[in-house]
Amino acid sequence: MSHEHSHDDHAPQTDDNEGPPGEYEILSRAMQELLEEKGLIKAEQIQKKIEQFDEDYPNRGAKVVARAWTDPEFKARLMENGNKAVAELGISMEADHLIAVENTPDVHNLIVCTLCSCYPRSLLGMPPTWYKSRNYRSRVVHEPRSVLSEFGTEISNDTTVRVHDSNADMRYVVLPMRPKGTEDWTEEQLEELLSRDHLVGVTVPVMDEA
Amino acid sequence: MSEPPPVPQPEKGPHDMGGENAGEIDTIDQGMTFWQRQANALRGVAIGNNVIVLDELRRTAEDLGNDYARLAYFEKTTTALRNLLVEKDIIGEDELTAKMDEIRARFDVPDEMESEIKKGPAT
Amino acid sequence: MSAFQTVTPVPDHHFDIGDQVTIKRGHPPGHRRTPDYIRGKTGEIERICGVFPNPEELAYGFDGLPGRVLYRVKFKQTHVWPGYTGPDTDIIEMEIFEHWLEPA
Repeated sequence: MSHEHSHDDHAPQTDDNEGPPGEYEILSRAMQELLEEKGLIKAEQIQKKIEQFDEDYPNRGAKVVARAWTDPEFKARLMENGNKAVAELGISMEADHLIAVENTPDVHNLIVCTLCSCYPRSLLGMPPTWYKSRNYRSRVVHEPRSVLSEFGTEISNDTTVRVHDSNADMRYVVLPMRPKGTEDWTEEQLEELLSRDHLVGVTVPVMDEA
Repeated sequence: MSEPPPVPQPEKGPHDMGGENAGEIDTIDQGMTFWQRQANALRGVAIGNNVIVLDELRRTAEDLGNDYARLAYFEKTTTALRNLLVEKDIIGEDELTAKMDEIRARFDVPDEMESEIKKGPAT
Repeated sequence: MSAFQTVTPVPDHHFDIGDQVTIKRGHPPGHRRTPDYIRGKTGEIERICGVFPNPEELAYGFDGLPGRVLYRVKFKQTHVWPGYTGPDTDIIEMEIFEHWLEPA
């Protein structure tokens, strides 16, 4: 089985069709089939949810940030009421309550859920495997700068690092600082510049070299 | 003269790990395999349909004790879901076992067929 | 910070933005959303989030009502972690339910 590793947001679809399914896969399928037989869920719902996670959710966060960068009044509304603001772009946060936290020269924001893996899934899709890992969840709250270094991000000591442990009903998205040199860029170009990691706060967007 | 028992040192749950020391982070997103996508969707749909409540699922994951650290993420969530569905009597253990056997059988190649295919010059 | 609109109406709340609060100590059994590392620590109310059903009860199949007021509380990292090596200005914030808070 070959794996392609990259820093892309959309991790490659590794396919474990080689070999028989493992016990957990069998257990998961069994639960799905039994719940379907009992009329508690429908197969179409599962299919749709898979598609939402693969195709819809991951593209939304960048749209919201690109709009906030180009439209200061939208940004103010986003800071006041995350769900209402993103609904203007046709995005439903479903059961999540969104708070946008803004990076400035004085503050850098970083998100974690130490207790499990709470994450704004309807805005960003599936959390990355590192976000759900023991090492991230344990360390980012007490040594955030060391964790940031592992992602290649250095924040000056003059800038506050502000960690958010999303441990209850709110979900967070980081609003990064708009990179210098993008003043003339369109919303679409800005969207392309943004990655999921920027919106969790482990990396910062910079203008690509031409 | 006996002494009072020691002051209890309460334990926290296996999930409550903020502040612990741990190793280097694998900063590359390993993504989801196909079955993990299915497991993820199952969780979302079961919650969306009010078959279960998210907080209940978190609790059965936290109750995994030593298995919490040992199991990988989707193994944890799948086990937690099973434990919850059985606890709430939505699914019975026997019917789960039977269904799993049925699914396993779909992937097994029966012995007879195997020997038919393998028929040929003796090695 | 621009005025944050609470997610639900919050007609009664014990604490206001800026209040100094201490997180209760103790290790009640069962499902809790107050991390161990913050218990007994003192911080400041950063915002009022809203009223939400109590997750400690939802986890066991109860309806969690009446809902509890949820706050965001801000802490200095150097206060939370004795060995913290970053600048004194570094912050950690999280959501804490009203019943876990005492006036500092």
